[in-house]
Amino acid sequence: MSMNALLDEFKNIAESPKKQLDGYKKQGKKAIGVLPYYAPEELVYAAGMVPFGMWGSNKKTISRAKEYCATFYCTIAQLALEMLLDGTMDDLDGIITPTICDTLRPMSQNFRVSMGEKMPVIFLAHPQNRFDSFGLQFCVDQYAHVKKELEKITGKEITNDDIQNAIKVYNESRAARRRFVTLASEHCDVITPTKRSAVLKASWFMLKDEYTVKLNELNEELAKLPVCDWKGTKVVTSGIICDNPSLLAAFEENHIAIAADDVAHESRAFRVDVPEDSDGLKALAQQFANIDYEVLLYDPESSKNRRGEFVANLVKESGAQGLVLFMQQFCDPEEMEYPYLKKALDAAHIPHIKLGIDQQMRDFGQARTAIQAFADVLEMSK
Amino acid sequence: MSATYTLGIDVGSTASKCIILKDGSEIIAKSLIDVGAGTSGPQRAIDAVLEAAQMTREQMAYILATGYGRNSLMELADKQMSELSCHAKGASFLFPEVHTVIDIGGQDVKVLHIENGTMTNFQMNDKCAAGTGRFLDVMARVLEVKVEDLGRLGAMSEKTVGISSTCTVFAESEVISQLAMGTDKCDIINGIHHSVAHRVTGLAHRIGVVPQVVMTGGVAQNAGVVNALCEELGTEIKTSPLTQYNGALGAALFAWQAANRAR
Repeated sequence: MSMNALLDEFKNIAESPKKQLDGYKKQGKKAIGVLPYYAPEELVYAAGMVPFGMWGSNKKTISRAKEYCATFYCTIAQLALEMLLDGTMDDLDGIITPTICDTLRPMSQNFRVSMGEKMPVIFLAHPQNRFDSFGLQFCVDQYAHVKKELEKITGKEITNDDIQNAIKVYNESRAARRRFVTLASEHCDVITPTKRSAVLKASWFMLKDEYTVKLNELNEELAKLPVCDWKGTKVVTSGIICDNPSLLAAFEENHIAIAADDVAHESRAFRVDVPEDSDGLKALAQQFANIDYEVLLYDPESSKNRRGEFVANLVKESGAQGLVLFMQQFCDPEEMEYPYLKKALDAAHIPHIKLGIDQQMRDFGQARTAIQAFADVLEMSK
Repeated sequence: MSATYTLGIDVGSTASKCIILKDGSEIIAKSLIDVGAGTSGPQRAIDAVLEAAQMTREQMAYILATGYGRNSLMELADKQMSELSCHAKGASFLFPEVHTVIDIGGQDVKVLHIENGTMTNFQMNDKCAAGTGRFLDVMARVLEVKVEDLGRLGAMSEKTVGISSTCTVFAESEVISQLAMGTDKCDIINGIHHSVAHRVTGLAHRIGVVPQVVMTGGVAQNAGVVNALCEELGTEIKTSPLTQYNGALGAALFAWQAANRAR
């Protein structure tokens, strides 16, 4: 398949998750909605079902979900519920609701109440103290609960071999996505911010083995091209999600490429592989413990601002000139962490802008102005 | 050698402004139409400035558009630039010692940090009308006064009434409550000016306020807001009679640079 055909396919999948879900259902597969963050998708895959990412929508308007949600819940969570209430995701066979942030924790009960008998809602509480043996054991117990609930849906036992196979598939997929991120920066004349986003977003709506085959094909095509001599500017993006093509188009209009990202929906989801362990559940719990430099997870050494320094170094090492932070409205973890991130960026003399966004925004006039002005600042500082 | 004329147009949310510059240094003509993006304002402003200069479009070496509606002039203008860069340029032209520009426009607030005439950092308000020109429009309507009279009326105040700086809708309710209690309008207006100043001060301190401070945009014509900001920031604030034209002036200056590069 040609590079353009592959990019078009990823774009179509990213734009039409419902169509993708319908396709899997026609194949007789069961599908499980997976809400953010860090649900062990491997267990869904090991059960022979399709894990289906639920990160809201850029096309829907919150209506029915308002019945269940406080106004200060982020639009990602509210729009995920909206799609479960308006029929868009009726074909799902269940959902997993992780509870890492202060919105998703109560929201897990809103999902449970609103879904009633419609579909099973699998509660997942990750441990705050994830490093110590008791934290690891808690995580293993939680994953065992998720496994048991998935077995009820699929009607078959998920064996350790199934989990080990899923871990292998997912680690290969993570490696392919990390390679793509590097290649996308080297070939930012071809992989525009919009295309980059579509390729990474499609991973949430595809079986990972199918996705990885296509992504490896794209990576090989990209690797054949000479590294581009980019005349514009490069930035690192940060935040929970930045997948709106209308907003990303402003990057392209102003010759801004994405060198790397610190986005929960993108690289933060595939930075860390699952380690080898004869016990699949323990391996998955260890991977969760190994995740670092993450806004959403507890850092016993947070006073050292390790994460801020990590992001600042990411900007420097990726060859970017600045950072664009997409601040989701009502995202408490990101809002609370921002002063520390700003401090680290200022200390490293890295210019940045913070764009307030939510998934119901349709007009990006102010954001476009800020992006254009930021491009001017970066250009003049070259 | 013949002179080079450039045109800068600033299509804001509430007004369209044009400036024609001769050789990047002399203002030949200016125009202002009280409607902005999405209206006949931009075209009327261009027609008016060309008429005032007794020149034609063809005599302009370069036209540069800025402001919220800049992208609606893709066919007419040679280039579009963000109003932040243009305000920085215009303010640096009018006040060469400037380090901080506070621009309060119709629907947003921007604070720019300038080094050697170049913008090096900036902050914009969140998607909220509080602290903007629109905030003052809403309050003037509730108070049944003209927005251009707010500065004069506020100066007659003897005390400041506390008005919320968080939200235009809440602030409007507070103003209505104050009117119902019989509070003097001039005192309420003084409170409104301080409300705007509180909001803008918070934004300004995010990037740091380094003198010389210059205020641009239509709201800079309101002495009440300027004085309240001086108090809040604890520093003198410069303004210019050309304050409303500052974005257009910056656009015309960038246009002159572009015209020279093209030669």
